[in-house]
Formats: sequence, structure tokens, C-alpha cells
Amino acid sequence: MKKIYLICLLLLGFSGWAIAQTHTVKGRVTDASSGSALPLVSVQVKGTTSGTQTDTHGNFTLQVPDGKRTELLFSYVGYTPLTMVADNVNLTVKMESNNKKLDEIVVVGYGMVKKRDLTGAVVSVKGEELKKVPSTNVMEAAQGRLPGVDITRSSGAAGAKVNVTVRGNRSIKASNGPLYIVDGVQYENIQDINPNDIQSMEVLKDASSTAIYGSRGANGVIMVTTKRGTSGKPKVNVSSYVGVSEVNGYPRMSNGEEYTALKREANRTTGRWNSVADDPKIFNAFELDEIKNNLWTNYAGLLLHNGLQQDYQAGISGGSEKTKVYFSFDYFDEKGLLKLDQLKRYSTRLNIDQTINDAIKIGVQSQITYYDQSARRDPLNQANKYIPLAMPYDSAGNLVLFPNSGSAINPLADEQPNAYQNITRTTRTFINAYLELTPFAGFMFRSNFGVTLENAKQGVFASKTSIDRSTASTSRSQSNGSTRRYLSWENVATYNKTIGDHTFGVTGVASVLSDQRDSSLMQGEGQLLPSQLYYALQNNVSGIAVRTMYQASKLISFTGRLNYAFKGKYLLSLTGRSDGSSKLSPGNKWAFFPSVAGAWRISDETFMKSQTFLNDLKLRVSYGVAGNDAVDPYSTASYLTKIPFSYDDTNAAMAYAIGDQTGNKELKWELSTTKNIGIDFGIIAGKVSGSIDYYDTKTKDLLLQRSLPTSSGVSSVVQNIGKTRNRGIEIGINTTNITTADFRWTSNIVYSRNKEEIVELADGNTNDVANGWFIGSPVRVYFDQQKIGIWQTADAAEAQKFGYKPGDIRVKDQDGNGQINSADRIILGAQVPKWSGGFNNDIRYKNFDLNIYVFARIGQWINAEYAAKFDPQGLENSAPLNYWTPENASNDYPRPNASLSKDGTPFIKTLGYKDGSFVKIRNLSLGYTFSAQTLKPLHLSSLRLYVTGKNLFTFSKVKNYDPERGGDLSNPLTKMYVVGINVEF
Amino acid sequence: MKPNINKYFIILSIAAVSMAACNKQLEEYNPGGTTTDAVYSTPEGFETLVNAAYTYNRWWYGKEEGYSIAEMGTDIWTSGTGDKYPDITNYNNLQASNTVMSGLWKQLYAAVNLCNTGITRIDKAGLTTDKRKMRNAELHFLRAFYYWHIVETWGPVHFTLEETSGVITTANRTPVDTFYAQIFRDLEVAVNDLPVTTGDYGRITKPAAEAFLARMYLTRSKNQQAADLADKVINSYGYTLLAKYADLWRMDNLQNKEVIWAVNYMKNLVFDDRTDATLFPNGHSRGANNGHLMFAMKYDDLPGMQRDIVNQRPFNRYMPTLFLLNLFDEKADARYGASFKQVWYCNNLKTAPAGMKLGDTAVLCSKYVLPATTKYRVYDRNTVYTAAGGGNDRTHYVSLQKFEDPTRASMNEEQSARDAFIIRLAEMYLIAGEAQFKLGNAAKAADYINVIRKRAAIPGQETAMEIKPADITLDFILDERARELAGEQLRWFDLKRTGKLGERIALHNPDASQYFQSYHNVRPIPQDQIDAVSNKGEFKQNDKYN
Repeated sequence: MKKIYLICLLLLGFSGWAIAQTHTVKGRVTDASSGSALPLVSVQVKGTTSGTQTDTHGNFTLQVPDGKRTELLFSYVGYTPLTMVADNVNLTVKMESNNKKLDEIVVVGYGMVKKRDLTGAVVSVKGEELKKVPSTNVMEAAQGRLPGVDITRSSGAAGAKVNVTVRGNRSIKASNGPLYIVDGVQYENIQDINPNDIQSMEVLKDASSTAIYGSRGANGVIMVTTKRGTSGKPKVNVSSYVGVSEVNGYPRMSNGEEYTALKREANRTTGRWNSVADDPKIFNAFELDEIKNNLWTNYAGLLLHNGLQQDYQAGISGGSEKTKVYFSFDYFDEKGLLKLDQLKRYSTRLNIDQTINDAIKIGVQSQITYYDQSARRDPLNQANKYIPLAMPYDSAGNLVLFPNSGSAINPLADEQPNAYQNITRTTRTFINAYLELTPFAGFMFRSNFGVTLENAKQGVFASKTSIDRSTASTSRSQSNGSTRRYLSWENVATYNKTIGDHTFGVTGVASVLSDQRDSSLMQGEGQLLPSQLYYALQNNVSGIAVRTMYQASKLISFTGRLNYAFKGKYLLSLTGRSDGSSKLSPGNKWAFFPSVAGAWRISDETFMKSQTFLNDLKLRVSYGVAGNDAVDPYSTASYLTKIPFSYDDTNAAMAYAIGDQTGNKELKWELSTTKNIGIDFGIIAGKVSGSIDYYDTKTKDLLLQRSLPTSSGVSSVVQNIGKTRNRGIEIGINTTNITTADFRWTSNIVYSRNKEEIVELADGNTNDVANGWFIGSPVRVYFDQQKIGIWQTADAAEAQKFGYKPGDIRVKDQDGNGQINSADRIILGAQVPKWSGGFNNDIRYKNFDLNIYVFARIGQWINAEYAAKFDPQGLENSAPLNYWTPENASNDYPRPNASLSKDGTPFIKTLGYKDGSFVKIRNLSLGYTFSAQTLKPLHLSSLRLYVTGKNLFTFSKVKNYDPERGGDLSNPLTKMYVVGINVEF
Repeated sequence: MKPNINKYFIILSIAAVSMAACNKQLEEYNPGGTTTDAVYSTPEGFETLVNAAYTYNRWWYGKEEGYSIAEMGTDIWTSGTGDKYPDITNYNNLQASNTVMSGLWKQLYAAVNLCNTGITRIDKAGLTTDKRKMRNAELHFLRAFYYWHIVETWGPVHFTLEETSGVITTANRTPVDTFYAQIFRDLEVAVNDLPVTTGDYGRITKPAAEAFLARMYLTRSKNQQAADLADKVINSYGYTLLAKYADLWRMDNLQNKEVIWAVNYMKNLVFDDRTDATLFPNGHSRGANNGHLMFAMKYDDLPGMQRDIVNQRPFNRYMPTLFLLNLFDEKADARYGASFKQVWYCNNLKTAPAGMKLGDTAVLCSKYVLPATTKYRVYDRNTVYTAAGGGNDRTHYVSLQKFEDPTRASMNEEQSARDAFIIRLAEMYLIAGEAQFKLGNAAKAADYINVIRKRAAIPGQETAMEIKPADITLDFILDERARELAGEQLRWFDLKRTGKLGERIALHNPDASQYFQSYHNVRPIPQDQIDAVSNKGEFKQNDKYN
């Protein structure tokens, strides 16, 4: 028994000794990259509840049990949790920030800041993202990735322009497109830049970001930075893709049977046709023959083919410690859906950065782009109205110029040899040279000199037998040349200084921009030999005309910016810019654009450190003024207009009359004031991050082309009158949904909603009906009668009251006064979307990557040409529509009537207004990246193969048509199947 | 202290100089631009102003808009199937939004403004005394001419004699009498100072100004002056009526002795007014004379026919009323055959019925009732017109052929070089006849009218065409005007000034009479004008239009 007590005592003693065996561990926690102390870091003994926190100097003291291998857990908001063995009495702990994203550099006006220090609304896209969607124009690739930026392709023609607006339309007359800055220099021709050459793209949206660009920034600024060389082993990347495009839905016109039925019905209404026996009264002999044999043609189908898009690009970046070079070459070839529609683009880029010594650095970014573009005059308009019964080719296979002896020329006429040619060859040289001096710490002076030289030559030939010249009697040849010289010289001085917790940055800029263009045009008619096209213009017998033109404008600016940060948590930015534009009237040429922005990094505050939900939270507020002077040069003076005239058919009699638009001697700046409030956030350790912005832009002194009463002898003037307002919300969220070793799924969601409205017009609160501008509505709306159906037989008495009969289009008597007149017109819909959004998914499984990108644009109305393709007479072809007959009580389309022309049908325009909202699966891409082992023997560092489907699926209320086109049936948009390869070595 | 002050002074002056230099840099340089002051203050530049003042005629004479507004909406025309403006032809729902109204209003007032500008600036242009007198007279005439179009079409609307400078957003309503007072003053200057002839065909001359003045006197019921002046024009200047009515319309005879004033359209289309995107962006959509398109019926899809240059390009806008066709006694009056086309000859064997050869009759239109036949297509009175005389088949009818142009270079060519006659000698006889009739001198009236009718007679039928003084009534004179001047853009004005617009429409045009109301005596002021004026309280729309 005594032994048991002894053992117990010993055990107790041991345990007591064990409990009593702790020792003190001290340590200091710092940030791994900056070395600064991290206070309030949670230090916990793993497996227990005991723990402590670091003090303001990052020091901690903790009791740790002896003997065992004790592990300490360090966790801190914004940093990766760290586990460390307490094997030392004095520990040095270095924690890594997991907000890598916040340390990313973002390019802003005349400088670069870390994302964490941004005070304005700026969204950034990496060049890699832009490469994912093969496209002619880099802005097309950016569609849906940038909240607040609305991008649509204007048409399906090869090399068609892309329409871009940032946060809605402010201006009614002046351009609403954003400012494009490439490597610090203004460059409008964004379509020249090869997406593979882009390192990053930033969009500056609010006034504080754009204020530094003053007048040019009112519509947002898109900044593109091209790739630079790197030191070390040269890296080569080669990318290529080939894509086949086909039309993305094209609605069909009536076939032979449907057309015949409509024409018969049209003549039944007038009493001329009662049975098939009466066909000879309304159809000619050719048509009767074709009806009997059921022969008909789908002309649009004969014109639309598949297109082809190819791109071959190679880029090399290399260099040494002091010299960095990037060189790339690109060949792009796009064949459109129509014959003769083709674009070839050759471009080459050379970027050199040379460090001369510690204080001097120079460099040049240059690009030469050459376009060879063949354009096609739209034949689809002719094809869609062509009577389907007419056969385009005769029995020998030759083209018949006027099928069925009709009066309209064959829509295929332009495809004959030497019938039509329109070729433009453009060369654009863009050189930007800079000198950067850093004579002493914190100070930098940079001088940027940019030149864009453009040279274009266009030749147009339309023969006697082409669609354009079918209403005239001779061919027309035209040769146009134009040159443009754009110079930009900017001097930027920056000084940064940190004193304790205060950081200051001062920037000053002085710049001059000069734009000169001149052009010449020569034209003649009656080319001797059609094969001579527009060469040998001297062989044209008549209609000789010549013209030359010159245009120039200049902009001078001075800017200053002050950035202040306190403890990296409280940020303030002040900007002031002064611009002088040559285009405005004397006395009004200069304007001052100030802005102020502040930001608060809430997540850096001490009270935020105790929670782990939010790892990043920043609040931004800004207010600023930007301006717009985008009117044509020379708008301040009144000009005469030349009228062709003669007394004797041989000599021209010069005639100059007073021009339609009178000049405005008071023309001044259009000013936009923007308030912006936004938060940037990151939650769940960065798994979800994003930003939400709310903005309110008020534009006043709108540059408006005001209609004047024509009794004054002139009809318009550009004046500063009117106010618009754009307010909205933008949300951009990035999520990492699943991350495992093999599988990773990230998403990017973008949502923008903008409310655009006209607040005031020329006459205070009176609507400008003539121009379609209404107070409280967006700038572009559809204003017309509202179709509510077709008058039915049962309503004949009521229809009679209004002066209509069953079968006519029924519109609403809005004011209920028993009369239908111009007072019954209402705003049917706006041409701008209510909201738009994008949902982008990147999924990676082992070596495969899948990208699915869905894009939606909801709420905009279009004028659908197809919906209004109805010719009640049957003189032209119509779409196969459900029209009213006494037996078929349709409520869609009116009764065909052989004695009523299309223009004479009341309310025929109301048929076209439709809701053009759509959702598209814009991009579906599957790629395979070969692993490093397989590539080693090939000496490649990366190889990726991919297949992409672009614009594959479109969901909208408009059937068989891509509503992004806007309603037009010409140059339809395409969907594309692409195979591509990216190689790096 | 001095050095400091100097330093600041230097800095300030450098700043001032550089600012001034900056501003100098921002001045616009426009070597290619032409401004009013620069051009109109030189003699050559002033010539261009006067030339330009003539060009506004081309928006009215020979153009669809001019035909619609001046010839349609009367007793002699109704709508064809292709009529773009049935609201003007039939008065059915004629509203201020009609584009013909806004187009012509704009051009006429731009013309008036140009004339006002010229008249105000002529003394500072450096012209020689002779030139100055002549150009001044031309500008006065043109101003009177354009104001006449405005006041007769729209009534008491905006009137000014000042050049528009700066932005003007108001308009006034001035009484009709004020317009005419100025018209007569301007015409007096013109008639006194214009030369008798001109080397530039198309410029106004003294006889042309007098002819127009005679028309004005008649319009304002100054009958004695009208009669005297018309007689002077008939006898003093060597104008003669062409022997055959049909000769007036030949394309090789455009500048003939019967024409007093015309719009001179050119064969070289580069001098005509068709719009061109680069060279003449504000031109007319078709250009030159379009009369050949307007009245042709749609023959080209009928069996045996195809479109060709000779048979014209048919827009089939306008169709004659049965009343117009019945006004002619075609057995005696050559004007029926010269003015109207009734037969179309086969030119297309591929669609011809069996047995038809090229040159055979393929289509026959007639104002009479004809028996049916299978040899060729017949469109007779009962097919084309309703029992009441209104339009039934508006696609196939007797077509006015006065303005046809078989000399066009291709069958689809829209521009014709045919001159548009504004005033011709026949009108002077009609003016003199009507004025004498109104003065009570029926015998003298008959003499004048008989000259016209004698010329119009088919050889051998001169006696049948003669009328007696007792036959003359105002209605008869209007009928004669219809026979002589059908389609020549005067009818609406003739009916309005004689107060017979509503009456004759009710009697002879069943299509229009169901819609015509008395307020249609003036046209609606364009809606864009009403919308754009800032003094909406004073400048209101014409009565009953909306």
C-alpha cells in the first residue's frame, strides 16, 4: 500500500512537474516584404486555447509548455496564416501578405500606383485576358470584362469599327467615345493594336481619374500599355489562329409561293384578282412561268458565304540589364461574309528601353500598321427587296443583269468582274519617344514625344452595271487621298517624398497636341474601259470633279496633381488641369478642370484586424469636372456652301450660297461634373473580391446642334445649351470558387446599370420633337405612334371613326380625343440598354482550361428592318409575315393592297420597333497547355492549343437575327469557330 | 528692392508673353473655308451669290415636291399607285409633318435670305455701275419670285428684308398685302433695270420679269395692267408660239422662241443638283428634271412590254382625272395627242402573247369605253375610272408625255436635261384673255384665246377650235388653261387665285372632294418650323392644321 502512495506521489510530482514545465517564448512578427511590424497579430498555441496578440511593435510573449514540439499559429487579416514551431526562445516571424492583388501596379494618368493606393474608379484588365477572345479589334475582346464600359461591334463587315461608351452617353452632338492612350500618348486607332502586344489595359471612369486628362477625359479614358523587353534570356512567343465565320442568324425573305400569295391577296383587295385565272393580269410572262414551275431564288442566301479570319503573330522580348527590347510582327486577314469584303492588316512593333545611367533613361515605342481593305457596297438591301420569282442566271449560267426584264438590277451584279471595286490602302506610323531623368531621389522628369503619321489612298470604281450606278447611266471612278499628322509633346515632372507617416507625391504636366489633316478627291464618270477602274481617271468623259480640303486643330494644357497618404491608410488626391482648344471661340478657349478624391483603407485599421471575414475594404469618394470640345474644327464661323451650277453646259458657273449651319461665335466647353463613391472589398481570405461604384454625372453647356426655324434662312447652329445626367451603378466581382491541386474555377461577374436622361434643352423644358430629344429620356429614343394591332372586321365602326378600315394598322389614340394625329406619338423605347452584364468563368483541370463567357445587354430597343419588311403592293419582296385578310384575322400585319405604296401605308414605321435585349454566349474556349516535361525536348517553355467558339448562341426576343447589330440587315454579325495555338520559347 | 522687382517683372512678362503666344497658337487656320464676308465683298465673289440665288428654283421646278405642291390637289389630277404624297393630292389627312412642306419652306426661305444678303451688300462688292444695276435688278426679281411662292402657298407668314445674322429663333406673321406690296416694289426695280436679253441662258431678263409681273397683276385683280403688260410681252420681244404644240416638248428644241423663262437643267450632270456625298452633300435626292418619271404609268410588266429608254421609267405617281381627259376634243385639238400617251408598242417578244410582233400595239389606254379584246391589253374608261369618275385602276392609265426624255443615257437614269419652263408665251395670251374678260371685253378676250386654240388645232380643224365671245366664262378660261398648261406647275395657284379651288374639286375630282375642306386654301406650316420658333405664342400654325 505504501508503494502505491509513493507511485501516486511520484506521478503527481511528475505531472505537477510536467504542468509546471513551461517556458516563455518571445518573438516579433513583421511583414515579409516590407519588414514593418505587424501589430495585433493573433498568436495561438496549436491545439490549445491559449494565445496572445502582438503589440504595436509586433512583439509578443507567450508561455509555451516544455518538451513537446509546440506549434504556434499566427494569423492576421490580409496575410497568409503561418504555423511555426516554438523551438526558439526568441522567434522572428515573417508573414506574407495574401493580398497580392493589392500590390499590383495600376497605370493611371501620368503615373502608376498600387491598387491599394487608388482613389479613383479604375478597372484593370491583363493582356492575357484580352488574348482569350480572338478578334479584329482589342476592344471587342474587352467586351463584358469592364464594368461600366458598353462595347458593341457596329457591323459584320471586315474590320468594322467597335462602338465604345463609358458610363452612358453624356453628349448629344459631340462624340461620346472614350479617349485612348497608348503608352502615354493619345492614339485613336485602337484597332491597330494587336492584342498580343498588350501588357495591360486600364479604364479610368470617374472624374478624379480622368481629370488629369481634362477635356479629353469626359467620356472616360482607356489606357493601353504595350509589352516591354525583359532582361535575361530572350522570350519568344508565337500565336496564331484560324477561324471560320458564318452568319449569326439571318432571317429569310418570302419564297416564291409566299410572294405569289401576297401579290394575289394585294390584288384581291382592289378587286383585280379573284382566282388563279386572273394571274396574267398581275404577273408578267416570266413570272407566270416561274410560278408554274415553282422556281424561285433566295438572293440573300446566294450572297452570304462563310468568312475566314486568320492571325499570325510573333513577339520577342529580351534584353540585358540596361537595354530592353520588345519586337513583334502580326499579320491579320479577315474575309467577310460577302465577296469583295476583305481586310489584310500587317503590323510591326518595336519597343526599346535603354537605361543610360542611374539618372537617364530613354526609350521608344513604335508601330507601323498597313491596311489593305476591300469594301463592298451593301447588296443585301437590294437582295431583300428583290422579287424571288426572278432567276439570276440564264440557262447557260451567265448572270442576267435585269432578271424577268424587271427594272431593278440583279443584287449579284457587283460580283461580276470589273463591276465594283472599293480599295483603301492605309499606312499608319506611330512613334513615341521618351526621355526620363531621375537626377535625385524622389524626382523624375519625363518628356514624351509622340507622332502619328497616316497616309491613305482609296480608289472606288462602280461600273455602269453595278448596283450604285443602276439609276444613272455611266460608271463612276473616284480616287481619294488623305494624310494626317498628329503630334503630341508632353513634359511630366514628378516628385515623391515620405516624411514619417506622411507620403507626398506631386506631378506637373505641360502638353501640346496638334492635329493636321488634308485630303484630295478626284472623280470622273464614263470610264473608257471598265478594266481601268479608277486608274487613268483622265479617260473619263464626263462628270469630272476635284476637291481638296485642309483641317487642323490644337490643344495646349497645363496640369498639376498632389497625392497625399497618411500611414498608407488615408489617401487624398487633388488635381487641377487647364486646357486651351483651338476649336472654341476666342475668349472661351480655356477651361479649368479640378477634381478631388479621397480613400480610406478601412481594412488597414486596427479595429478591422480582429475579424477575418473581410480581408480588404476600401472606401473611395471623388468629385471632379471634365470637359468635351469634340465638335468639328471651324464651327465658330459661318461658311458658304458650293452649289454645282452652269448656264451653258460647258463652263461651271461658280455659285456659293449661305450654308445650312450658321457659326457660333460663343462656342465654349461642354462640362461634366462627376461624383463617385465606391468600395473595393475582399472577403473570405480573398476568395471573393470586387468593387461597387455609384456615380452621378451632370453635364451642362451641352454642345448641341440646335434646329433653328428655317424661316431664318439657316437651319442649325451648334450651341452650348442643354443638360444631361447619367447616374448608375457598376459592380465587378471576382470569385475563386474552387481551388484544389488539379482543379480551379474562378469567375468574374460584371454588372452595369446606367440611367441616362436629358435634363434641359435649348428652350428650358420644351422637348425638341424634331430631333427626338425629350426631357427625362435618354438621348436616343424611338418616338412614334404605338401599334396595338390591326383593325378587325368586328371593329369596323370604330375604325371608321378614326378614318381607317379593317386591315389597317391600329395605333393607340393616346390622348383619347377621337383623332389619331401627331399628338398621339409617345416614346416607345430607348436605344440604350437598361443594364448590361458579363459572367466569365475560367476552369482549369490539370492541363486543360475552359473559358465560358456570357454577356447580356438588356432593355435597348432597335428598329428591326426585318420586322418592317412588308410591301403591301407586292412590288418588292416582303418577309413571310402573318398579314391580315378577311379570312385570317391576324393582329400583326396589315392587309396587302395593290393600290397602296409602302410609303403611303399609314403607320408602316411602327412595325419595326422591337425590344432588342439579348444574352449571348460570347466565348466558349477549350485549351490544352502541354506540361513542361513534354516541352523540354522541344526547347519550348509553353505550348497551348485551343479551340474557341465565338458568338455561338444568342438568346433574344428577335428571332433569327443578332440584335447586337442594331436592327439593320446589312453586314450581319457572325459567329466564329476558331482553332489556335500559343507557343513560347 | 529694384533687382527683386525686376525679377518678378521679368517672370510675369515671360508668363504673359507665353500665354499670349499660347493663345496665338490656338487661333484657327482654315485656308479652304469660304466665309460670307470674304467672298461676297469682291466682284467675283458677288457673282457667285447671284448665281446661287438662281439655284433654288431647282427645288421646285421639275421636281416631285414641286409637282405635288403646285399641280396636285386640283380638279385635273389624282393619285397613281406610286403617289408618295397622297395627302397632298387628295387632302386626306394633310398634316404639318408632311415632308414636302418642310423641304420647300426651307429652300424658299434660304433663297430669300440669300437675296436679302445680296441686296444689302451689293454696294460694298466693288461692282461696275452697269453690273451693279443688272445684278441688283436680278436679286430684286428673284426675291419677289420666291416670296410669291411663299405667300400663295402658306398665306401670311414670315417676312423680312434683312440678312439673317447670328442666331434668330423668332418668326413673324405678316399680312398678305404687305408681301404683295413688296413684290410689286421689287418687280418695278427689276422691270426697269434688267436687260432685254442675256448671254447666260437661265438668267432673268426684262421681258421675263414683265411676264411674271403680268401674272402678279392678274393674281391681284389689277386687270387693266395685267392685260396691257401681257400684250406688251406678246408683241414687243419677238416671242412666238411654236407652230405645233408637240414641238414645245421636243428634247432638241428646249431653248425655243415660245419660252420666256426656264430652269436650265444641264446634260452634263455634274452641273445639276443631285446630291453627292463628297461634292454636294445637301443636294436633291434625284437631281435635274424628274418630270419624266412622275406621270408615266406602269407599263413595263405588261405582256409584250419591257422598260426601255423611249418608254420611260415609270414611277406612276400621278394620274389624270377623267375630267381632264374629257376636256379635250381630240379630233380637233392636237394638244390631246401631244400631251398624252395612250398606246404602248410591243418591245419585248419574250413576254408578248402569241402572234404579237415588235411594234404591234401591246397596251391601249383610253377615256372611252372599249370592247374587250385578247390581242392586246386594254384599259378603258370603266377599268381605270369608277362610275363617278374617281380612280379605280391607278396603275394603268392615259399618261402625260410632255416631260418624257428619250435622250437619257440609260433607261434607269433619273436625271433629265429637259429645261423646266417657268413662263411661256401661251400663258401671256391666257393672262390677257382672262384680264380682258374680267374687264368686260369678251371680244378681246376671245381674240387672245383663239390664238392659243388656233395653234392647238389639228391642221384643218382651225374653225372647229374657234370660240365666240359668248363662250367665255371664268370656268371656260380655267378649262382652257388645263388644256394648255396641264402638268406645268401652275394649276393649284390658278384655282386658288380665282377662288375656284374647292368648287372645282367638288365638281370634278371625286377622290379629293371627299377630303377637301375650305381651310386647305393654304398649306400647313411645317411642323419643324412650329417646333423650332421661340415665340410660339405669336407664330402659330395655319388654321385647323395640326
